[in-house]
Parts: sequence; structure tokens; C-alpha cells
Amino acid sequence: MHFKRRRTALAIGLMFVVLAAIYFTVSHDAGGTTTIAFLGIAGGVAAYALVVGTPDDV
Amino acid sequence: MSAVTAVATTHDEPHATGHAAGGISNPILGMILFICSEVMFFAGLFAAYFNVRATAPVWPPAASLTSVPVVTAEMAKRFDLHAEPWFALVLTILLVLSSFTCQLGVWAIRRGDRRGLVRAIGLTLVLGIAFLLGQAYDYSQLGFGLSDTQFGSTFFTLTGFHGAHVFAGAIMLSVVLYRAMSGQFSEKHHDAVEATSLYWHFVDVVWVCLFSILYIIPSK
Repeated sequence: MHFKRRRTALAIGLMFVVLAAIYFTVSHDAGGTTTIAFLGIAGGVAAYALVVGTPDDV
Repeated sequence: MSAVTAVATTHDEPHATGHAAGGISNPILGMILFICSEVMFFAGLFAAYFNVRATAPVWPPAASLTSVPVVTAEMAKRFDLHAEPWFALVLTILLVLSSFTCQLGVWAIRRGDRRGLVRAIGLTLVLGIAFLLGQAYDYSQLGFGLSDTQFGSTFFTLTGFHGAHVFAGAIMLSVVLYRAMSGQFSEKHHDAVEATSLYWHFVDVVWVCLFSILYIIPSK
């Protein structure tokens, strides 16, 4: 069950990183791209850590 | 991700860490979430730097041609950090080395080697303090200040906040070193070492990004 949750957590982070790549292609705005990409990285890692950190009996 | 998994797998003993099987101990989970918030903090600073850089016609600012120049020729020369990146490169090597020594300490205590932990964390602390002293020296030699154009403001904001984080990390390492010397860590009980190590690696990665942005990415 946790395996699926971990994949979902990583997918959420990856989605924002892909979004950042698309945004940069369209706008060439490095500032906005940085914010979106780091949101993906931070969000993905936080979600992954929370899933991994959740005890098996929950 | 592998670091998170590695940390999780080292804490799968319910009674040793005070949580159910499969979880991460609270100090380490707290540190990971704190680091995630710090990632967004530095993302904001990096984004501000990129925004200022993108809107400037020339970066770093060139010498003004007006009768009362905003940027003098001497200052414009000082802004060109790409010309002399060597001292910053030495600082980078010091910090990257300290990350390795910090990890050596983690591996040592995972094996139950307390003396190895003390040696590795002590060396990490020395390298961290050397970095801070080097940065202070670098500041004194730069020749421009916080109020000298947007370049000075962004440079000192980015490197200053990073320096503050290194200082905080050095305090955390000092506490870990004191506790290690007091024999408070063991093969099973060393969450503070793991958490401090994660923070130190994060600070190291931020500096590598900063060095790349300030000293390696070409001027425009």
C-alpha cells in the first residue's frame, strides 16, 4: 500500500518539475521557473518523507 | 530520496525509536520537513536574483557613463566575480569536504564507532568554521557593499543568508560533538546525528548552487 503512496508523492513533485520546464519553454522566466521547480522538489520530498514516515499500522 | 529511505530503514525498531514499525523517528521527519521549507525559502531568494538579473540590461552592472556615476569603473571591475572565482572555489571545496566528513561520522555511529563519530564531527566543525572565516575574509576583500546597486544587495542577501545557515549548522554540530564526547549516542540511538547530517548536506547543496549561479554562469 505504501508503495503506491510513495509513487503518488513522487508523481506530485515530478508534475511541478515538468510544469516548470513547460513554463520556462514558454516564458524564458528563470525566476518563476525556479519557484515552480523548487515547489515540486520540496513538495515531493515532503510528501515522500511523510509517506515513508507513516507507521505501517496506520 | 534514497537518503530518506536509508534513514527510514535504519529506524525500523519500534522500541528503540519510540514509533511503530516502518516509520521515521520524529526528529528526522521534522528535520526533513524543515529542510523542505528551507528549500522554498532559498527558492524565493534565487528567484529574486534571477528576476533582477533578467530585468537588468547588463549583468553584473557596468560602469555608468554619467557625470556622477552610480557604478564606478573600479566597482564594475569588482562586480565581475567570474574573473576571480578561485577563493570561492576553495571555500566550495572546504564545504563539500565537510559534507563527506559529516557522512563519515554518520556511518561511524551506525557501526557503533563513537570515537570515529567524534573525529568526523570534529573535523566537519573545523571545516565549517574555516568556511565561515573564509567568507568573512572574502567579504572584507570584495570592495562593494550591500547598498551598492542591485548586484550588491542580491549578492549579500544570498550569501549572507547562506552564511547564517552555515553558522546555525556549526552550532548544531557543536551540540552533536559535545553529546558524542559525552557518550550519548549509540548504534541505535543517534537521531540527532542523522538530522544534523541532513541539514549540513542541505547547506552544502545550497552553496554549490550559489557558487554556480554567482561565479560560473556567464555574464550577460
